[in-house]
Amino acid sequence: MPIYEIVFYAFSLVMLAGAVGVITVRNPVYAALCLVLTFFSASAIWMLLEAEFLAIILIVVYVGAVMVLFLFVVMMLDINVAPLKEGFIRYLPVGILVAALMAAELLVLIWSKGRFEAGAYPLPAPNPEEYSNTKAVGEWLFTNYLLAFEVAGVILLVAIIAAVALTLRHRAGGHRQNPSHQVRVERDERVRLVKMKPEPRQGS
Amino acid sequence: MLTLTHFLTLGAILFSLSVTGIFLNRKNVIILLMCIELMLLAVNMNFVAFSRFLGNLDGQVFVFFILTVAAAEAAIGLAILVVLFRNRQTINVTELDDLKG
Amino acid sequence: MLAEYFPVLVFLAISVVLGAILIATGGILGALLGHSQPNSEKSSPYECGFEAFEDTRSKFDVRYYLVAILFIIFDLEIAFFIPWALVLDKLGVFGLAAMTIFVLELIIGFFFVWKKGALEWE
Repeated sequence: MPIYEIVFYAFSLVMLAGAVGVITVRNPVYAALCLVLTFFSASAIWMLLEAEFLAIILIVVYVGAVMVLFLFVVMMLDINVAPLKEGFIRYLPVGILVAALMAAELLVLIWSKGRFEAGAYPLPAPNPEEYSNTKAVGEWLFTNYLLAFEVAGVILLVAIIAAVALTLRHRAGGHRQNPSHQVRVERDERVRLVKMKPEPRQGS
Repeated sequence: MLTLTHFLTLGAILFSLSVTGIFLNRKNVIILLMCIELMLLAVNMNFVAFSRFLGNLDGQVFVFFILTVAAAEAAIGLAILVVLFRNRQTINVTELDDLKG
Repeated sequence: MLAEYFPVLVFLAISVVLGAILIATGGILGALLGHSQPNSEKSSPYECGFEAFEDTRSKFDVRYYLVAILFIIFDLEIAFFIPWALVLDKLGVFGLAAMTIFVLELIIGFFFVWKKGALEWE
């Protein structure tokens, strides 16, 4: 069916164009937006590979959370971008040279002898109607990779603690109210009863 | 007809592009972090493609863990970046040479 | 099974084409029909009559960053919940115990954040 090829090539082109955008644009905000485009197209290609759960997770976690974090940081550090782009032209030839060498090596490896062609790895039949990718991943994850799953929890814990310890800074002079103190207040803390003699009325 | 070669080629090109990005933007830490994310995406692409063509779910579970670790890495890396900017008022890699003898 | 996603693809294609058409017609018609005589006053940023005080992009507070980071972590936690919830009836008590340990790990982090006061907006 040619539609698979059309979808694959269309999203691949958009994805590579997005990647080129990330590494060449001047403004980091545009770089972050190009990265969003790249991730979105990658998600579509994963959908083509019938990895539906990961495609959705890529959008939810990466586009929805990590890229927002990148955008926050770019906007938080109000950076003068001009000096950071220095040397772009100077490093362009060597960068392209190294990348071309690397791409050539990888592609020779992949293309030689038709090692990954359809003969060696035929495209499996599409999954049946009632097959659920999420369910299959869940079964595999919670049986064979249980330890890795718990370790992932520890990594997330480390990330929380590191982020809070690094960036949290209480500022002086904040007017913070403690609701539990407010609720717990006793009458004696607010009202002072004073005993005094009655004053004689003036004038009469 | 789509074969494994197509997807592996796509991953290889994406990886090479992000290597170029690291060369070109070697002063800006934020773009360097973005290039690392792109590299991880290229690797994940290979994992998912192999998982599909070998009919084995290990690759997809691996990608899930890579996504988790990459999100934690981005969070901590950007936190370090924020602290760095607060102390030095710059994120230019060439100016961070205090340990140079 | 991918055929079920075909409507999404059609929707995506239509939206891309529609966007391209609207932008193209707007640009082409604008260039053909309008006449543009820009000068420095017209193209300068306008802020209630006086000169712009500061950069268009204002700095964000670091507190937004903390909220975003906590969002990522708990977002990933929920992402682990989805496949777990689908296969829970097969995993049984074992699966429940596994997830309890995972959630406990993150609850430790949650209490750390809470006690540190990172959730307060001072």
